[in-house]
Amino acid sequence: MILEARNIFKSYGSIKVLKNVTIECHRGKIYGLIGANGAGKTTLFRILLGLIKQDSGSIEINSQGIKPIGGIVEKPALYGYLSAFGNLKVFAQIQGLKLTKELFYQSMEQVGLSPTRKDVIRNYSLGMKQRLGLAIALLNNPECIVLDEPFSGLDPMGIFALHELIKKLSSENHITVIISSHIVSELTDLCDTLYVLNDGEIIKSGSTAQLIKENVTTFKISGKNLEMSEVLKDVSAVFLNKSALVSPKSMSISEVLHKLTKEGIEITACIPQTDLKALFGREPV
Amino acid sequence: MISLIRSEIYKISKQSKTLYALAAILIIEGFVIMSAYYQGAGIIDLLLDNLKDSFEFRGNLLNGNLIIYLILNSLWFHIPLILMIIISGFLTSEYKDKTLETVMLQPVSKLYFILSKYIVSIVFTLLIVLILAVTTFFISYWIFGYGDLVVYLDGLNFFKSDDAFYRLIYAFLSGSITMVFFSVVSLTLAVILKDATKTWIVSAIFLICSNLLLKIDFRNDVINELFFSKLTDSWQYFFYYEIPYSTIYFKNFMLLGYSILVMVIGVLIFKRRDIQG
Repeated sequence: MILEARNIFKSYGSIKVLKNVTIECHRGKIYGLIGANGAGKTTLFRILLGLIKQDSGSIEINSQGIKPIGGIVEKPALYGYLSAFGNLKVFAQIQGLKLTKELFYQSMEQVGLSPTRKDVIRNYSLGMKQRLGLAIALLNNPECIVLDEPFSGLDPMGIFALHELIKKLSSENHITVIISSHIVSELTDLCDTLYVLNDGEIIKSGSTAQLIKENVTTFKISGKNLEMSEVLKDVSAVFLNKSALVSPKSMSISEVLHKLTKEGIEITACIPQTDLKALFGREPV
Repeated sequence: MISLIRSEIYKISKQSKTLYALAAILIIEGFVIMSAYYQGAGIIDLLLDNLKDSFEFRGNLLNGNLIIYLILNSLWFHIPLILMIIISGFLTSEYKDKTLETVMLQPVSKLYFILSKYIVSIVFTLLIVLILAVTTFFISYWIFGYGDLVVYLDGLNFFKSDDAFYRLIYAFLSGSITMVFFSVVSLTLAVILKDATKTWIVSAIFLICSNLLLKIDFRNDVINELFFSKLTDSWQYFFYYEIPYSTIYFKNFMLLGYSILVMVIGVLIFKRRDIQG
């Protein structure tokens, strides 16, 4: 295990932000921390990164490296008046690392940024700043990185590129990645394990596939002539434009799809719809 | 620690506000010189009108030494105010831009980080005073030439040109300790308040109050001797006929002690506080 946070409590005055939070992370895996806004995700990350102290509980990071853990909290906070080289130079220098030309090129290429760009980073897009922030977080080769809402404000291409980068860091560099988000779809394709944080408490945890399966009750089926289907009428589907929302109770979704095929309906997509109330709430599905 | 100091110097050298600080100081200097150039002779005549009946003045009293003394007097308010604004900004801008968080996400000691800020602030202050002094001496002697210095300090004091030159140099050296004190206070205020505008306002109030309290008699010898505001005028003592070296040493030593105390308070507060976004 690379990181273990056990029984973490944190309050601000009378407001209890974290209540008995425990998470365990293994080497080279990707973990997702999901929860609504204000659930306590950023506070937990700040504690994991040592920015703030917990009221009680323990954090153990099993790494012998100079920098056991790196990360970005909320937006990447960088020196806007410096270039990418200047930023990397400052952040390398303060941790006793000499930024050689080779290291600069390697750091920039690792996150998919052009090392030839010389202008100050206040001209960069948010996605580029995220990447540069990640390059800074990766200086000195931490074994674990924590990314707080890294997809926030990124366009779909930026989200895809960051997904690929995180997967690469996990699979090729065996870095443990912990990501938070309040958007389920951002984490489902990426994370091995999910923790669900609600009102400062971990209310659910487990493999992403299992948790999603447990919290999916509705599927969005797209195809041609759906409104002609008797099967969809039988399962009380809600018809939308060229799609239908199905919440089958008497049969499984695979049975519904099988029967639709038998009816000659051409299905183009079947997308599971996570029940957010069930996932974020305390009630069992 | 050395690498932290080097990175702080690198950041300062790349920030436009450093240039603004230098420009502000040179503008103040320019204004004093320009006013002296156009109006100085008239003011000197007005000041010495009565004395001219009893004494004979040789040479030009509106000379480089007088101009340097006038610019030296910007150490009362203008220079410390500029320094306090710039130096508190070294930290408040890191709070505002949240770069402090990114710094603290690296394997960096909070103690060494804030100490490096204080050290660089002190070096920056000394450098600004040095630049002010060098440019003042150079420009004043170049435009107005040499001559005897007349200073009003509990009466009119006259110093020969060579004597005035050394007194002015020592006054700048002594004044730099006062400037360091105000710089350290502003950085500690930045640690406490975090916000730039609040820090500027409180720094300005601190400076004004400090100057006002200097003139107040507390009717208590201990307070009159040891209270910090009573220690910030050591550089003026070089313009008495007999320089009271022991008083100057005492004031500067005490002011350095206050600077260290204020710095320790700032370091302790910074170390204990969470880094909050």
